[in-house]
Amino acid sequence: MSATAAATTTAGYLARRAAQKEKVRILYRRALKDTLNWAVHRHLFYQDASELRERFESNKHVEDLDTVDRLIADAEASYNKWRHPDPYIVPWAPGGSKFTRNPTPPSGIEIIYDYGREDND
Amino acid sequence: MAMRAAILRHIRLPARAQTLAGPRSREWSLPGSSASRSMSSHGDDHLTKEEVVERVLAVVKSFPKVDPATVSPDVHFQNDLGLDSLDNVEIVMALEEEFKLEIPDLEADKIDSCRLAIEYIYNHPMAG
Repeated sequence: MSATAAATTTAGYLARRAAQKEKVRILYRRALKDTLNWAVHRHLFYQDASELRERFESNKHVEDLDTVDRLIADAEASYNKWRHPDPYIVPWAPGGSKFTRNPTPPSGIEIIYDYGREDND
Repeated sequence: MAMRAAILRHIRLPARAQTLAGPRSREWSLPGSSASRSMSSHGDDHLTKEEVVERVLAVVKSFPKVDPATVSPDVHFQNDLGLDSLDNVEIVMALEEEFKLEIPDLEADKIDSCRLAIEYIYNHPMAG
């Protein structure tokens, strides 16, 4: 037991914990967006979001690193299974409908607005 | 060329003189100049800092786990408001929806306080 107690605050342990926490946050973010994709109506979304939050909260106090890793892997697998085929992406973002629709023209090209005026005008 | 311009000016002058009694209260600039596009809504897309601050604070105050009286532009979500890291994620998502932004995952992870959120949104070119 003392070996595990000594191992709780080493730098490697903390680094792993921090990495796991970041993975959990990113996973929660993606799962929440996915929930919004599936449940478009707001009241349904709030219910599903509460359930999702419950699932995350129930595993909040797990201390063992390997268990946490396994839980994260399982959660990511279930997220990949439930991903929406046509997610809502903001139009100008990559994957959205307006992405690269009107790219800025290359520099050095200038359009002369003379509205068809001819030289003998 | 100069004669043409002079003729045009002469021809167009009576029209300008007649509008003194009209309902128009603004002098048009030189005819032929397209510098004033009065009805164009181009370029008013940039949010002012006060607007950004106001909207960000409104979003944070409407979060059910937050006490609205403690919210200020400098507040830190986890330290000052006592929120969870998952609550942080939820607030960032709410800000994304409010400003119609798409924040990449790693950037969104770093938004930890109101100050950071305001800076990020204000400097984002596509904030709506």
